[in-house]
Amino acid sequence: MIKQVPDPVLELHNLTVVYESKPALWNVDYTIPENHLIGVVGPNGSGKSTMLKALMGLVKPSSGYAHVYGKEIDEVRQRIAYVPQRNSVDWDFPVNVFDAVLMGRYKANNLFRRVSKADKEIAMEAIKKVQLEPFVKRQISQLSGGQQQRVFIARALAQEADMYLLDEPFAGVDAATENSIMSLLKEMNANGKTILVVHHDLQSVKDYFDWLLLMNTRLIASGPTEEVFTEDMLQKTYGGKLNILSRVVEIIEKQGHPIREK
Amino acid sequence: MENFIDFFMLRDPNVAWVVGGIICITAAAAIVGTFTLLRKQALIGDAVSHAILPGVCLAFIIAQTKNPMILLIGATISGWLGLLAINYLSDKTKLKGDAALGLVLSVFYGLGIVLLTAIQQSGNAAQAGLDKFLFGKAAALVRDDAITFAIFSFVLITIVFLFYQPFKLVVFDKDYALAKGLPVRRLEVLLSILTVSAIALGIQAVGVVLMAALLIAPAAAARYWTNSLSWMLVLSTVFAILAGLIGTYISYTVPRMPTGPWIVSILSVFALGSIFLGRKKGLLARYLNQRFHKEKMLKENILKVLWHLGEADQNFEAFRSVDQMQERRFIPLPQLRRGSKKLVLEGSLIRKEQKFALSPEGKEEGERIIRIHRMWELYLTTHMNLPADHVHEDAEAIEHVITPEIEAELAKVLEGAEKDPHASPIPYKE
Ligand SMILES: Nc1ncnc2c1ncn2[C@@H]1O[C@H](COP(=O)(O)OP(=O)(O)OP(=O)(O)O)[C@@H](O)[C@H]1O
Ligand SMILES: [Mg+2]
Repeated sequence: MIKQVPDPVLELHNLTVVYESKPALWNVDYTIPENHLIGVVGPNGSGKSTMLKALMGLVKPSSGYAHVYGKEIDEVRQRIAYVPQRNSVDWDFPVNVFDAVLMGRYKANNLFRRVSKADKEIAMEAIKKVQLEPFVKRQISQLSGGQQQRVFIARALAQEADMYLLDEPFAGVDAATENSIMSLLKEMNANGKTILVVHHDLQSVKDYFDWLLLMNTRLIASGPTEEVFTEDMLQKTYGGKLNILSRVVEIIEKQGHPIREK
Repeated sequence: MENFIDFFMLRDPNVAWVVGGIICITAAAAIVGTFTLLRKQALIGDAVSHAILPGVCLAFIIAQTKNPMILLIGATISGWLGLLAINYLSDKTKLKGDAALGLVLSVFYGLGIVLLTAIQQSGNAAQAGLDKFLFGKAAALVRDDAITFAIFSFVLITIVFLFYQPFKLVVFDKDYALAKGLPVRRLEVLLSILTVSAIALGIQAVGVVLMAALLIAPAAAARYWTNSLSWMLVLSTVFAILAGLIGTYISYTVPRMPTGPWIVSILSVFALGSIFLGRKKGLLARYLNQRFHKEKMLKENILKVLWHLGEADQNFEAFRSVDQMQERRFIPLPQLRRGSKKLVLEGSLIRKEQKFALSPEGKEEGERIIRIHRMWELYLTTHMNLPADHVHEDAEAIEHVITPEIEAELAKVLEGAEKDPHASPIPYKE
C-alpha cells in the first residue's frame, strides 16, 4: 500500500541505488505530505540509511530522483538537518561537546566565516534542549553512547532547519532519554517541522509516528500509520528471510548483473 | 658549550638561515601532519614521502641545478603522482589499501634510488649533496633555501588557518559535511595537496626515509596532552620545532651526521615521553590528578567548617580564627593555612587580620557540600537500609565526588525530605 499525495515535501521517484553491483534501494517511489512525524521501519540492511543518504544527495542514484520541498536537494540544503548513524564517525576526534554541536552552525556558502557569539548561544540552547549542559566541556569520546547520540541531535537542532532526518537516534539510548528526545521531536513537529526517523522498535511505532514507511530494499508501504501498520504489511517487510526479493538481490550480487539497462 | 652558544645565539649568519629554515619546515609538517594523523593517513604519508625521491632527481637532471624552488616543484609533482597512483590502485583494482601503498612506495622509491645513483656516477660536480634527500642534512641549508622554505610554509600554514573550520568538520564527520553542502571533495583534495607539499618541504630536513615520522609523530605526541584540536596544533608545532632545532644542532656540531635520524630520534623521545607523562592518559597526569583532588577536598572541608560554625550561631558572615576552626574539625595547621590562602585568592573567603569569613560565593559552596553530605546520609539510610550511625564516614568522602546531575537525581529520590538521619536540616537551594 503506497499512498501518494499532492504537493509532497519529500518525494522519491523510481529511485534505485546500487553499491558496487548490489541494489540497496530498488525502485522506491513515494510522496509524503508536510508536517508529519515519519517513521522508517525495516530489517537490517534493508536500505533505510541509504534512503536517507539518497534524500541528502550523499549517494548517487543509478536511476530516479529525490526531491525535497519539490526541489533538488542542493537548492534547499539549508532547510534540512541530517543526523547520521552514531557509528559513522570516530568519537576519539579531539573536540568537546560544545565544539561538536557548534559545527551545526558552520555555513556551506561561506567557508571562511568564523562562528559568532549568536552562533554560540544557539549551540548552547540546543545543548540544553537535549540535556547535555553538564557535559559541554567534555571530550566526546568520554560520553556514553546515548549522550553521543544526543550530541548529534543537538548539532542538528543548532542548524535551525525546517526538516530533520534522523538515522536511528534511539540506538543504544535508555528509555528515559528516548522519551525525552521523542517529546522534543513531537514538540518540534507541533511547531511545524517535518521529522523523519529511522526506527527499529515496532512496539512504539504507533505512539511515535503518524506516517510510516516500511522498507525492504523495495518500498513495501507508505501512508498514515494506522493504515499501514498492519500484521500483513509487517509480514511482507520482515517475512521469511529467503523471500523472492532477497533471492533475486543475491543473484544480482553474485553475478554482477546490472539492474538497469543503460 | 661554545658551539651551543654559537648555534642558539645565531652568531653565525649561516646558522641563522639554518635555524629559520628548520623552524618553517618543521612547523608546516606538524600542522599539516595533525590533519594527516586525524584522517588516519599516516601510512599514506609514508608512501608519498618515498614517492618524492624520483621527482627530486628528475628535476635535477632536467634543470641541472639544485635551486630549492625547482627541486620543490619536482618533489611536489612526484608526490602527487604517488598519491594519485595509490588512490587509483585501491579504487579501481582488487588491491587492498595497504598493498597499493606498498606497491607505490617501493616502485617510486626504487626508481628514485636508480636515478640518484645515475646522477652520482655522472660526474656532474653540481650534484654533490643531492643525497641529502635520503636522510636529510638540514645543517647545510643556505640563505636561498631558507627564504624559499619560509614562503612555502607560510602559504601552507595560512591555508590551514583559513580553512580551519571546514577542515575540522570534514575530517570529523564527512557525511554530515556533505549533507550540509560543504565542498567536501575539494576540501579533501586541498588537504591532500597540503600533505604532499608539507612532505616535499620536510624531506629537506629529514629526508624521504624518515619524513613520515616528522609528519605524524608531533601530532601523535600532542594528542596525549590535549583533547582540543587547536591545542593539538599548537603543541605538535612546538614539539616539531624543538626536535628540529636539537637535531640540527647535533648535526651542526658533528657535520658528518645526517639530520633526519637525529630529529626523528628526538621526536620519538617526545612521543614516548608523552605516553608516560601526557595530561590526558599519562602516568604523571594520574599523580597530578590525585593531588588536584586532595586540594579540592581540603578547600571544601575548610568551607564546610566555616559553614558549620555559621549554622551553629546563625551567623554566616562572622570572622573566625584558625583556632576556632580547628576546634570544630581538626585540619593540620600548615594545610589549613595553605587552603585558606587559596580560598581567599579564589574569592570564597574574606580575610581580616588572622581571621576568615565566608564570602557569599564561599557560603553557597559550603552549603552545597553540606547539602550533598546530608542528602547522601539520608539516601543511604532510606534507600540502602544502612543504620544511621554508619553513614557519616561514607558521606564525608562522597560529598566531594557528587556532580550536579547526581545531586539533582538525589533530590528527586528524596522527595524534598527536610532532615538528615541525625535530624539536621538539609539546606536546599531556594
Ligand atoms: N558503502 C557501501 N558499500 C557497499 N555496500 C553498502 C554500503 N553501504 C551499505 N551497503 C549495503 O547496502 C544495503 C543497505 O544498507 P543500509 O545501510 O542502507 O541498510 P539499513 O537499512 O540502514 O540497515 P541497518 O538497520 O543495519 O542500519 C546493505 O546490504 C549494505 O550491506
Ligand atoms: Mg542504517
